[in-house]
Amino acid sequence: MAAVSVETLPEQESAAVVDARRNRRNVAFGVFALLAVLAVVIEHEVPGWLDLDIQQRAQAAYKWTITNRQTSPLFTLFLEPVGNVLQWMFDVVMNVLEFLKWPGLVALTGAIGWRTGGLRAGIGGASAMLGVGMISNWDHAMITLAIMLVAVFIALVLGIPLGIWTSRSDRAERVVRILLDTAQVLPIFVYFSPVQVFFGIKVPPAIVVTVIYALPPAVRLTNLGLRNVPVVMNEVGESFGANSWQQLLKVQLPVARKAILLGLNQVIMMAFGVVVLASLLGTGDLGQDVLNALQKQKVGEAAAAGLGIVLLAISLDRITTGDRKHQFSRWSNLVPKVSRQAGQRIAVGLVAVVVLLAHVFDWTTFPSWLTIDVAAPINDAVTWVQDNFHDITQAISDFLVTNVIDPIYKFLLWLPWFLVVVAIAFIGFLSKGWRLATGVGLCMVLTAALGTIPGGVGRERIWDIAMNTLSQVLVAILLSVLIALPLGILAGRSDAFERFMRPFLDIAQVLPAFVYLIPVVFLFGVGRSAGVVACVIYAVPPCIRLTTLGMREVPYTPREAAISFGATGPQEMRMVQLPLARKSILLGINQTLMMVLATVIIAALIGAGGLGLVAYEATAKPNIKLGQGVTGGLAIVLLAIMLDRITQAWGTSKQGGNHQ
Amino acid sequence: MISVRDLWKVYGPRAERIVGAPEADLPRSQLEAQHGNVVAMREVSLDIAPGEVFVVMGLSGSGKSTLIRCITRLIEPTAGKVFIEGQDVTAADDDQLLKIRRHKVSMVFQHFGLLPHRTLLDNVGFGLELRGVDKKERRERADRTLALVGLPGMGEYKPHQLSGGQQQRVGLARALATDPDIMLFDEPFSALDPLIRREMQDEIVRLRRELGKTMMFITHDLQEALRLGDRIAIMRDGRFVQVGTPAEVVLEPADEYVANFVRDVPRSHIVPVDAVMAPPSDGPFAGEVSADTKVRDVVALVARSELPVRVVRDGMTVGSIDRVGVLSVIAGEDH
Repeated sequence: MAAVSVETLPEQESAAVVDARRNRRNVAFGVFALLAVLAVVIEHEVPGWLDLDIQQRAQAAYKWTITNRQTSPLFTLFLEPVGNVLQWMFDVVMNVLEFLKWPGLVALTGAIGWRTGGLRAGIGGASAMLGVGMISNWDHAMITLAIMLVAVFIALVLGIPLGIWTSRSDRAERVVRILLDTAQVLPIFVYFSPVQVFFGIKVPPAIVVTVIYALPPAVRLTNLGLRNVPVVMNEVGESFGANSWQQLLKVQLPVARKAILLGLNQVIMMAFGVVVLASLLGTGDLGQDVLNALQKQKVGEAAAAGLGIVLLAISLDRITTGDRKHQFSRWSNLVPKVSRQAGQRIAVGLVAVVVLLAHVFDWTTFPSWLTIDVAAPINDAVTWVQDNFHDITQAISDFLVTNVIDPIYKFLLWLPWFLVVVAIAFIGFLSKGWRLATGVGLCMVLTAALGTIPGGVGRERIWDIAMNTLSQVLVAILLSVLIALPLGILAGRSDAFERFMRPFLDIAQVLPAFVYLIPVVFLFGVGRSAGVVACVIYAVPPCIRLTTLGMREVPYTPREAAISFGATGPQEMRMVQLPLARKSILLGINQTLMMVLATVIIAALIGAGGLGLVAYEATAKPNIKLGQGVTGGLAIVLLAIMLDRITQAWGTSKQGGNHQ
Repeated sequence: MISVRDLWKVYGPRAERIVGAPEADLPRSQLEAQHGNVVAMREVSLDIAPGEVFVVMGLSGSGKSTLIRCITRLIEPTAGKVFIEGQDVTAADDDQLLKIRRHKVSMVFQHFGLLPHRTLLDNVGFGLELRGVDKKERRERADRTLALVGLPGMGEYKPHQLSGGQQQRVGLARALATDPDIMLFDEPFSALDPLIRREMQDEIVRLRRELGKTMMFITHDLQEALRLGDRIAIMRDGRFVQVGTPAEVVLEPADEYVANFVRDVPRSHIVPVDAVMAPPSDGPFAGEVSADTKVRDVVALVARSELPVRVVRDGMTVGSIDRVGVLSVIAGEDH
């Protein structure tokens, strides 16, 4: 009898809870309806008095930093020394790279790859590195590499202790995670103006920006590695009387070593994706080669530099993946097995000999007989494609702009501004509840309050520019999901299809977003539809990957149960696998959306306009436009937070008001 | 050697107020729903003599793992006292606690808990390393201990190269290497297959004979408990329901629960002859056995002859047992 009463109790409660929830919901709907009516009644344009005047304030702050750079302790005691140390570290790395000379670096890459991932990784890494020199400007590539290496070093020096700390304190983990996640979600242009204020131009600010993105994976993977140390390992240490330090150094870190090293690869790839964009700060590296060529519409030159970036990325990826499963391939049967110590000695010796030879024969500059001119044939191809396919690509491009992007953009502009705020807040409420609704509503009001900037004719409202960017984001995410979701679901159910897709996805994962702009310009020219296409190309592979992962994470037991009851394949998918994979797929869409936003912003480089342009224009002329840069950056931050929080809520909670 | 007095472990908010209070007697689900507390172990008291093997037996969730972890405070008990060689462990400060863990007690774990990045030698020398023993000495001692558990010369192997049984031999060696007075075993053999498990039990019996350590042994396997234990504590819902020798537990189960447990145990395997023998007769006898011989080991003697067997303790004849006596134990008629 007791058991029965225990079972009925929660049901009665939940009936009351359901009632209360329905009431709260009705109240909420009423509130939103009232607000919507209000929005239509009041001024449809953003009112003039709603202006925080960020621009003037930021410009004034910048003026202050210029006049006080020599005197304020903030600069003389902190920022300048930090900047100097960064510059010094960069110089040291450059000196080492110059000392190695190009043959030495190729040999070193091969040696590291061989020792960490087997012969195949070594050969792959070394040939990719050689390819960098063959195709693009070696000296510029070395600048890219040096900035990245310094940034990775700093990210590790800061990230590993932070990771250790967060693994030992749940509260620290929460705080650090929110900070780092937010920092990482924001598109890179946001940081350009502030780091220029604090660190000037060229290398130091580029390193700082890169560290911002490389730090989160370093912290996250150290934290995760340490938290995943099995309980029994910790008990072993404790039971034999390890104190806190011994526990960390002798048990936890060694056990977590593999996971942390795997993180190194992610840290490097993340840093790499950022470093080529940080070239906009004037570092003179490969990224800038791409940019300069793109702006002159020289697709061949841009592609050559872009390929250099790709090869550098592949090289670094190969030698840091540490994937030992390839070690027993047919390559390794060709050489005799050696012990670990012997292998290390051989590797060091090999590199030393190559460096010595390079010095004796003075192989300083990359020899011209080794270079391949890829620009000319690509330019020819571009001409040919443009001659033959121009009509088709132009038609697609025009269709996208006139029939898809523009109608959405104009609709958003036509809507009363406050109605947009209310609508987004309402979506926030449906996604999670009042707190999210208030948060995203506030984001939008603040965006409206950013005022105006000097535009083509007179002044342009930031709100309008934000709607431009938002319309591009919406179109790009819609197209990406429409393409990626079916492919991802298919790959989640068919092993053969997944095997077929894998190589494409693997390569796509390594390439920085920047690189995707090149073929897009080549096919679609410049403008908003080119930007949207670049976003889709960049975002589709990870979206497929995440969808597939979500599908494959579903445990087999419930699926098997459904099949045993006679469910057909499609029934099982619709009734079991998809519902169970729903949350992870939605979280995947959240990540895809953030990648789309980041790409929409950098698509300003190929004429997509929007907030990206507002922020990016300013980096070239901080003296007069820094205020504009900060304003644009803030608008991007607000948009990013709004989009991120709403879609994240889809993946984490079930419905509005459901706190179970 | 080990004394435990009124030990409690309660999880959840303000756990102390549950100890000894009427709330502790609430049904498990009700206590958790109303106060958010779970009583994992309650009012446990025990004394383990030097050289004794004390087995704690119970099903999963009975609190036995909690108990063994409270001995060296891997889990902090909520209330009660633990003494090791008279020293109050529960009152020890951090330094004293480290000393106890490094010198007096060592533990063998269910899933071995070998450190995957270390060689066997460095795994076995782990406790000595924490203690600050220099490298040369700890490697020597680790080498000797590995030989003791039957893995001589395998010091440079890594744990993943070994079978489960071999890995647990290393776990055993690691616990022995610090030469502790007390060894704690947390279901050390439950992850091994039956043949290997039996082999490892023999190993424990041998080590105990040779080294005379005091042992506390956790298991959910009754056969294992009966084979190894000088005394057995049966645990259920966080408390001891019976503590006694194997014969006492099998012959006089304290309640229904224990009775159910031991129902299928063949008595003749457990009962010593002096528990069922008749008064000494004048003979003649078919043979002679010592008083602690198990009844089943007399079967061969009485099967060969009509005559009874003489039971001897310390050279004195204390009784006799004949075919009928043996058969009645096997048939379970005497109790």
